[in-house]
Amino acid sequence: MAKSAGKTILVVDDEADVRNFLRAALIEAGFNVILAEDGNAALDEVRKKKPDLISLDLVMPKKSGAKFHRELTKNKEWAKIPVIIVTGHARDDVGKSDLKELTMSGPGIYLEKPVKPTNYIAAIKKTLGMDTTEEEAKTAEMVELQNDLKNIIDDADPETLKKLKELINRKNK
Amino acid sequence: MHDARLNPPRRLKDILADELFEAIPFNLAVIDRDFNVVQANRSFERHFGDWRGKKCYMVYKKLNRPCDDCPSAKVFAEGKVVVAESVGVDHSGQETHYIGHAAPLRRTADGPVEFVLEMTRNLTGARSWQQQYQVLFDRVPCYITVIDQEYRIVRANEAFRENFGDVMDRHCYEVYKRRTSRCPGCPAARTFNDGRVHRSNKIGTGLRGQDIHYAVTTSPLGRTRGPVKHVIEISNDVTAIKKLEHNVVEAERLAAVGQTVAGLAHSIKNILMGIEGGKYIVSLGLKKKDQTMITEGWEMLERNFNKTTTLVKDFLSFSKGRLPVLRMIDPRHPVTEIIELYKEVAGRSGIELRADLPKTVRKAPLDSDGIHTCLTNLVSNAIDACLMGEQKGSEVVVRLTDAGGKLIYEVVDNGSGIDYEIKKKIFTTFFTTKGGGGTGLGLLTTRKIVQEHGGKILVESLKGKGARFRMEFPRKRLMALLKSGNNIDADIKE
Repeated sequence: MAKSAGKTILVVDDEADVRNFLRAALIEAGFNVILAEDGNAALDEVRKKKPDLISLDLVMPKKSGAKFHRELTKNKEWAKIPVIIVTGHARDDVGKSDLKELTMSGPGIYLEKPVKPTNYIAAIKKTLGMDTTEEEAKTAEMVELQNDLKNIIDDADPETLKKLKELINRKNK
Repeated sequence: MHDARLNPPRRLKDILADELFEAIPFNLAVIDRDFNVVQANRSFERHFGDWRGKKCYMVYKKLNRPCDDCPSAKVFAEGKVVVAESVGVDHSGQETHYIGHAAPLRRTADGPVEFVLEMTRNLTGARSWQQQYQVLFDRVPCYITVIDQEYRIVRANEAFRENFGDVMDRHCYEVYKRRTSRCPGCPAARTFNDGRVHRSNKIGTGLRGQDIHYAVTTSPLGRTRGPVKHVIEISNDVTAIKKLEHNVVEAERLAAVGQTVAGLAHSIKNILMGIEGGKYIVSLGLKKKDQTMITEGWEMLERNFNKTTTLVKDFLSFSKGRLPVLRMIDPRHPVTEIIELYKEVAGRSGIELRADLPKTVRKAPLDSDGIHTCLTNLVSNAIDACLMGEQKGSEVVVRLTDAGGKLIYEVVDNGSGIDYEIKKKIFTTFFTTKGGGGTGLGLLTTRKIVQEHGGKILVESLKGKGARFRMEFPRKRLMALLKSGNNIDADIKE
């Protein structure tokens, strides 16, 4: 845990409950935490002090996560800040296109709400390239695998899925 | 040079005798009792060809024996004029239709008929028009019937007969709808009455008992003034279109169900996130024996339980497919109520809430509960927008105007405004930018109520410059709704 000390995470989410939840989890893991309730406030915070990582929600009033990220990456210095996305809109029409844009252009990791504290911390530590316990590393891998699987299943057509199911069933026999 | 002495002027009788035979614009031929053509004019010769030394049937019909139904034979026998229509063959071998007028010629007034004068007039053009008209009448892809003043069908085209069977002399209402009396709002009755064109949408019953949707146009047959004796009914079969419309509505409904389920899932995910957080903070607090933390976590749990309740309530009220209950009310009333309800809350946040109402306004059929809900949603949105905006001197105005046959409610604020990306989504189920504050059903419910009133809702906004939500209710539609109670089979007035 010692290495978490000194690392600052900026949590951007419009829901106070989510902000407080993530803050509690991060503080427990030894991080410093800054909170922002929308993209504008988040940019202000970045200007004041460059965080080590940004935990970003997508759908927010005033400035959405995608817009915030577009502005963030315009600045060469800020563009290097790792971003992980925490959203409830990963797979609906409201958030899907934004998420695609973001995962294509930079942040590789996203977490779908509701998130568990352990998954959240594991994902952050992995992104920051920090030492992790064996369990944390495993969790982070699982989260990534889960996301990959979700994406594949979301994009697959029903026919392919049917065939896969048949294949699996045949193997199990 | 004219020389009167060599050529004395003829008497009228002589002129007629000399020239009438050629001057008359008919084909003239004289035949004797043996059917020999003994005289013919040039017009006849041009049409039927050479006649000299030939029998009449050879000339008229290019036959070798007398016709079965010879009108001239009748004239010879009865001594009276006979008029008949015939089909012959002209000089070029083409079929020719003509009407013939056969008159007896006698040498003395009471003598026997020695010759028959046949005057024929070519009808080929008219007959071919008639045939074309008949084909058009039968083959045009819509139902055509002509009815008399007793609503009996006197003519019906092929398309109509195919779908409705043998219909001649039966009452139109019996044939179209299997009724025993005239249909309410009969457009033909209106045409009999005022001699004008009327339209209506109806559902009839076909031969096999199937529903036939049709759009009927009735117009008087003929263009003369005076009482209408016959009405022509032209109907377009729109059954296939109705079926497609139904399919589209069904598809939209299914899509809406999908969207709703996805939205519901999202709302629940958000609540679960709050519960997850509350649970975590409570357990951290317990572990650390930190009372503040426990309280914080517990409050999070409570808030999210409450959110579940609100969500379920909003969800149920949205899904309730209630038709608006229309009553004649003063359209200003709901506005006054809302202002009273929200004035204090708004004032506490430094927002001025005021009404802008006309001094007088005609009553209108509205569902006051529905309008109340709409205004509540829009005003609470406007107040939230002012709270989010950075401006000082925020205000929300609820305006009512009654112009151009429309009742218009507007809720205008100078709050945070809506940016383009969000504007596209505001009428999406469960879409909310209010974080924990909304379920995302408010505007959707509002739009639903407005549409149920036959109105529409529009939004204008620029980010940072406030928003204007506008609900428009055409008075005509409100009245129609009040009268018919959402009747799909309603007549379309001219």
